[in-house]
Amino acid sequence: MAGQTDMELIKDGVRLDGRKADELREVKIVAGVLDNANGSCYLEWGNNKVYAGVFGPMECHPRHKQKADRAIVQARYTMAPFSVNDRKRPGYDRRSSEISYIVSQAFEKVVMVEEFPKASIRVDMQVVEAHAGTRCAALTAASVALADAGIPMRDMIPSCASGKVNDVVVLDLNKEEDNYGQADLPLAIIPSTGEVVLLQLDGHLTPDEFEQALDLATSGCMDLYKKMRLALENRYGGSA
Amino acid sequence: MGKESSDKSDSVSSRKLVLPGDLLETKSKPGHGIFRRDGRVHASVLGYSSDQSGYMNVNAITGRSYTPKVGDKIVAICVETAPSVWRMDIGASFNSTLHHSESGWKVPFGDTARFLAIGDAIWAEVFMVDAAGSHQISLKKDDCRKLYSGTIVKIGPTNVPRVIGKQGSMITAIREKTQTRILIGQNGHIWIDGKGNDIATAQKAIEMIDNEANSKGLTKKIEKLLEK
Amino acid sequence: MSNDSVSNLMRGHMESLAKEGKRADGRGINEFRKVTIETGMLNTAEGSAMVHLGNTKVLCGIKMLIGTPYGDSPGSGTMMTSTELAPLADQSFDPGPPREQSIELSRVVDRGIRESRMIDFEGLCIEHGEKVWTVFIDLHILDNGGNLFDCCTLAAAAALSNAKIPNVQHGITDKDVDLPIACWPISCTFGKLGDSIILDPTSDEEGVMSARFTVAHDENGNLRAAQKGMNGAFTDTEIREAVKTARASDNVLREALKGIQG
Repeated sequence: MAGQTDMELIKDGVRLDGRKADELREVKIVAGVLDNANGSCYLEWGNNKVYAGVFGPMECHPRHKQKADRAIVQARYTMAPFSVNDRKRPGYDRRSSEISYIVSQAFEKVVMVEEFPKASIRVDMQVVEAHAGTRCAALTAASVALADAGIPMRDMIPSCASGKVNDVVVLDLNKEEDNYGQADLPLAIIPSTGEVVLLQLDGHLTPDEFEQALDLATSGCMDLYKKMRLALENRYGGSA
Repeated sequence: MGKESSDKSDSVSSRKLVLPGDLLETKSKPGHGIFRRDGRVHASVLGYSSDQSGYMNVNAITGRSYTPKVGDKIVAICVETAPSVWRMDIGASFNSTLHHSESGWKVPFGDTARFLAIGDAIWAEVFMVDAAGSHQISLKKDDCRKLYSGTIVKIGPTNVPRVIGKQGSMITAIREKTQTRILIGQNGHIWIDGKGNDIATAQKAIEMIDNEANSKGLTKKIEKLLEK
Repeated sequence: MSNDSVSNLMRGHMESLAKEGKRADGRGINEFRKVTIETGMLNTAEGSAMVHLGNTKVLCGIKMLIGTPYGDSPGSGTMMTSTELAPLADQSFDPGPPREQSIELSRVVDRGIRESRMIDFEGLCIEHGEKVWTVFIDLHILDNGGNLFDCCTLAAAAALSNAKIPNVQHGITDKDVDLPIACWPISCTFGKLGDSIILDPTSDEEGVMSARFTVAHDENGNLRAAQKGMNGAFTDTEIREAVKTARASDNVLREALKGIQG
């Protein structure tokens, strides 16, 4: 968040990419795109492109991570070197590590891990093109992949970010807004209960703006949730 | 032969796909594929709900992991030999155990590999599943035996009923048209034996069902494949 | 199918099918699986391609950055290849440091492009001895259905064929030009199943075959790279026959590549 405000990111309610303050970028979700993975999803969100794949429940490796009474969710988020304009060196870095960890935590809340003692459920998210909001895109794609893999869950987890640019609270920041805006708030919720399983904030928000941003991100998540359902219904046929 | 018929597809026209978290309106007792919250019943897996015989179930239609049930006949592959047991892959969330006392062979201690080596396959029955989820299989029941020829195809366990078909119609058609012997493990591991080309045709038909279980017109496609 | 255990029965069945010139998926022993190539889908890369070979799916991105030349070739650009076996591609791809297979794959694909002189490195010089373009070929394996060698080599070739040097973005000139390519190596990988040699193995076949042989030819039918892998052995005749078969069979992949070059 550079917070530079000499750049006009929103003018008369219209953003640089033509969207209104409360509009999501275009999202396309396809379930069941990979043959090997037990469940998978390909998601395009604006110019973001993410693949998610799930294996399991299966034997837990390494053995010492095994839990006697439940499965563990091993989530991993990676960005391909060509996913950003300034090539990213292949390999794991601290940002990927942090995102992997908070995604694992989010899924531990909804996946019914008690049904698979000693097992592991592996969730892998690969960002092949990045344009801000990749952790939300990855988490959303992973939720669809988990459902596609038949993993028992209490709900799917849609994830969406809101933020602030030029003192206006907006939904779903694109790359310029993320770089030059004033706040970025990624959120993930459980649609059936409204519980928050992921929330981060970078930047500056007044208490009122925070409430606004939370409302906006929540509604973005609910819109996204509809698209997630549609993707699975398309794959498996809404009714036989 | 055991469970060789499936009439799951009876109420086809009224089936609606449910997703994890969906609320299920029911007065029946909760069965499998569901969870309870605030006294209500919700689906936990992607599948079709089935309110029958006083139980509300959701039958998963995706997923590659097998949940062992006592009495299920399965095809298992040896992945490890130990002094008095074999560790067997049955496609579950962890490997199963075949104890020497359940093998029907007289196995001297430490000599297990001579009877069943890594990579060998058997037709067995799940005979024990304990509270912690550990499971054991047995070679001593019915027609259980080591398999010496043919090949093994792995499909998703949720597609097994489709491979069997209504009253076994699908699998009977495959067997007859390809002149093969086929054993369908409830775990989705399927043994096929016969002439090389016939096995290949049967395998193709089974894999097609696995890949397209939810598409319309599948039965016709399989018929066409088997006619060739 | 992506499960860990492989049955010995499958080996016997595949070997006897191969003796009759057939495969478990209905192909002949010298047939490639269906191949599709899509290019230019990534906005952040200078070139990109997605190749499907049967169930195997590889995404390749080309990034070009300004770097310094090697001391012994001051007028030549440089290249670097990396392959990522994404955990979602195969149950056995654990996250963590690269395994030997991953490194072998990476180096074979790299050599196939580098040593074949596919890229015209002299055409990547900006300032002799000072500034040259470095071409990064990053292969991202998304689905392992077998034969990553041929799929990766093809993905790299397709991505390079659609790559443009980002002169404008880096303020070098006012026009982005095509990356200069001198030749088009296409690789063919064989497996030894019993006494039969099969082309383009699936992951099931890789689980039971005893040895692997990859050979790349350019569009003039000349060899550009070769690698024998796994711990089994080929006879001298088998190697010579495979090389001949490669020349006869690689046109399928070459046609697919031509198809996207427009």
